Amino acid sequence: MNCYMNTISIIIDDQKLETDPGKTILEVCRENGIDILTMCHLKGVLDIGACRLCLVEIEGVNKLLSACTTKVAANMIVRTNTDRIKKYQRITTELFFAERNHVCAVCVANGKCELQDLGYKVGLDHIRYPHLFPQCEVDTSHPWYVMDHNRCIMCTRCVRVCNEVEGAHNWDVMNRGHQVRIISDFNSPWGESETCTSCGKCLHACPTGAIWPKAIVQGQLQKNPGMINELVEKRKMKL
Amino acid sequence: MKSDTAVPVKDMPKTDPRMKLIAAKLKKENFKADALIEILHTAQNAYGYLPKEVLSYITRALHLPPSRVYSTVTFYHFFSLKSKGEHTCLVCTGTACYVKGAQAILNEIERGMGLKAGQVSADNKLGVQVARCIGACGLAPAVVLDDEVQAKVTPGEIIQKINAKIGTL
Repeated sequence: MNCYMNTISIIIDDQKLETDPGKTILEVCRENGIDILTMCHLKGVLDIGACRLCLVEIEGVNKLLSACTTKVAANMIVRTNTDRIKKYQRITTELFFAERNHVCAVCVANGKCELQDLGYKVGLDHIRYPHLFPQCEVDTSHPWYVMDHNRCIMCTRCVRVCNEVEGAHNWDVMNRGHQVRIISDFNSPWGESETCTSCGKCLHACPTGAIWPKAIVQGQLQKNPGMINELVEKRKMKL
Repeated sequence: MKSDTAVPVKDMPKTDPRMKLIAAKLKKENFKADALIEILHTAQNAYGYLPKEVLSYITRALHLPPSRVYSTVTFYHFFSLKSKGEHTCLVCTGTACYVKGAQAILNEIERGMGLKAGQVSADNKLGVQVARCIGACGLAPAVVLDDEVQAKVTPGEIIQKINAKIGTL
């Protein structure tokens, strides 16, 4: 088999690209320096297409598809920066902010927050939707970490990291609709969890100030979401 | 053989027939994690709700993470973590029933029983619930009393039937 049989060509934003089949549109875009906004995507864990920020237009397909869960196909024509997509990105971002109590000024992740960065990227200056202002708990029962549901955007990156990488499955999601919450064990305080290994991977996976370590001062939060993929890659290596 | 079958029934009286039902179901499903929903069904039907001890027993028996079980239980409306009451009265508030006066029926039940929709009486005898549509629009307004559909009910009639149910216990 010659090597050319394994590559396909696709067109993304008028750029002709050669790539391997089996990759997602998002992977191909990232490899070729095409910026796609994401929130729930975290390299190293399974993609679920939940945040709807990476929606792209594909010629011949009426609906917008999420780049993180759509595989590339030969001669696919993809657009990532049309007005339609920008409009939806803006709506999605506004809804993120309107859903819970995101107050950047008093947030521990201020300046180090992926949601905040996203707001700047889409040029968010005001939110057109009424804020829900839900009553959310702040779980400080864990000796080292804090879970602040006010800042959670339900990307479930912590859930997937805990399940797929750490294998503890301390986190999951309860209820439905706007009542969804991240839970630890039987919706019990995090500190009383029988499954949590206190590894702290969820903290690094969390894109906002929803999970953070107790031993920090405001503005000094350091998160390293790239560490998750490094771990996954290292585990694949045979010694 | 497999150690799975020897799950200790902690905090549970071994003579409880309801626990026996769940244990039998677990065995029948071969302690497979993907039978979680079927087993929860059995438990829900046996207890009328899912007590925390039962959930943790099932969790341990199936070797599932507790959060996964809790997430399943809270996702499906069929399962409940609190008792729904010995008798349940479900008022359909779908479009057809609404037009035919479901609200008046619900108001009458709430007033007569001193309960709001979603609540259970203090003695745990009656629980009042509402549903969007039970799919029996031809019978509007419909009320489901203990799994029995009452067709074309009037407020007075349903109060009588509820009182009869509670009284006969």
